[in-house]
Amino acid sequence: MTIVTLDPTTGFGSGEEFPLALRPETLKGQVLGVVANGLGDSEAMFDAIASALTDADGLAGVCKVVKHSVAVPPQPEQWAELLANATVAVTGFGGCGSCSTRSMRDALDLEAAGIPAVCVVHSALEPAVRAMDRLVGADEYPVIVIDYPHNPTAVWTKDESAMLAARVLDAVRLRLTR
Amino acid sequence: MSFVSDTHSFDSFEDALEGQFELGVTDGLPVVPPTPERVAEMLAAGGVSGETILGEVPTRDVLVTAEKVAINAVMAGCLPEYFPVVLAAVRAFLQPKANAHSTTATLAGAAHTVIVNGPIRHDIGVHGGQACFGPGFRPNATIGRALRLVIRNVCRTVPGVLDRASFSWPLRYSFCFAEDEEATAWTPLHVKLGYEREQSVVTIQSIMRLFQVTEFAPESEEILTTAYEIARHMGLQRDEWAGDGRSVVLVIGPEHYRRLVADGWTKESIADWLYPRLVADTAGKFDQKVTLASPDNIWVVTAGGPGIAQSWWFIPHLATPTHELILR
Repeated sequence: MTIVTLDPTTGFGSGEEFPLALRPETLKGQVLGVVANGLGDSEAMFDAIASALTDADGLAGVCKVVKHSVAVPPQPEQWAELLANATVAVTGFGGCGSCSTRSMRDALDLEAAGIPAVCVVHSALEPAVRAMDRLVGADEYPVIVIDYPHNPTAVWTKDESAMLAARVLDAVRLRLTR
Repeated sequence: MSFVSDTHSFDSFEDALEGQFELGVTDGLPVVPPTPERVAEMLAAGGVSGETILGEVPTRDVLVTAEKVAINAVMAGCLPEYFPVVLAAVRAFLQPKANAHSTTATLAGAAHTVIVNGPIRHDIGVHGGQACFGPGFRPNATIGRALRLVIRNVCRTVPGVLDRASFSWPLRYSFCFAEDEEATAWTPLHVKLGYEREQSVVTIQSIMRLFQVTEFAPESEEILTTAYEIARHMGLQRDEWAGDGRSVVLVIGPEHYRRLVADGWTKESIADWLYPRLVADTAGKFDQKVTLASPDNIWVVTAGGPGIAQSWWFIPHLATPTHELILR
């Protein structure tokens, strides 16, 4: 006797290719959007990244928003501010389960809005953000990975935050330009 | 009745049972094979069509339909008459302030409890008495499990993928119980939330931490003192997004409410007494402020059985408790 059952899942992935925003040639004159989720001490790292890119690459400005919770989208007014001002963006820090995937989604949403973006995550959460890639059809979307011995949940010292910023700077520059 | 879900064919009931494991859609325990007939019966009992949208998880591009929820309710072992409760629980879970993405992807492995109020408790037998948090009661076990299977299969919360819990915990199999409304003359939770006593309601609370409050002292103030000291053990930080609605649930057991009632306490006076003590400034690593907006954010519920002098705190994840009317 044949038994038929119904599938309880929703599918994974839209099946459509995800278009990335067009990158500028350099960061000179660009406005860097920073979508910080406030996890641990990660905001200090993003501040250091913004400061270093301003000095070294000639950013025209920085538009930073700190989300109201680690794993939610930016508030509507924050999103409007980003769309109005940012021309490139960095999101994160993806150091916990829900905040990493949400930060990845923030980056993908910015890409969909035409703003080149990159998400900074911890290696422990890379599989999670890859799941988010697949969900929207952006397989292998480039991310910047911070590894151990640095704490995934961004419990970092000031010096560590500064050192991590310096370490990822070239990768941020590379991901946001063509 | 027609369905939009994909189908799977098996040669026997045993194959269908084993096949669900191979499809990767169980919580690790066997499930009832969701045949179209069983799913149709579930939808009929809920009075909804399969395409009815119950809510969404925007971060994941997930729209949750009644058809998918019915399939998972069958798998969980629900009887059709439980389905109105499952529908309300899923609707409550998908309210934006329940923060479905955050509470299910978190490293911390938060769980959810389904608290049932109103006459449906008696109609279908949702248990709120002795051992009500544990196994042994089909409505409790399967309604809670249905919500978890929806979280897994429909909302894509699979361990190692979007479920990133470092340990997870047993409450993620199922956690549903009823308030024992008849135990005291106190106002039932759903009436405090603005519903009529004759209405049936589910409340969903995310649980980041579960604390047992065991206090054998006969003095009611001593019971409440132990309660706030235990809640302050790890405190609760403010979350700007969850805002002023973020609340804690205190489930008071019979040996405690017996003493509290005798001394004239009500749910309101308990919350008023606890509030300033919970929100007092942090005084040490294990004496931390429980950040709440007002005494209204202390939701007192009665449940459990006689014997040990015990109550329980449900401390939330980054969400507020949400509630929905059960439509029958």
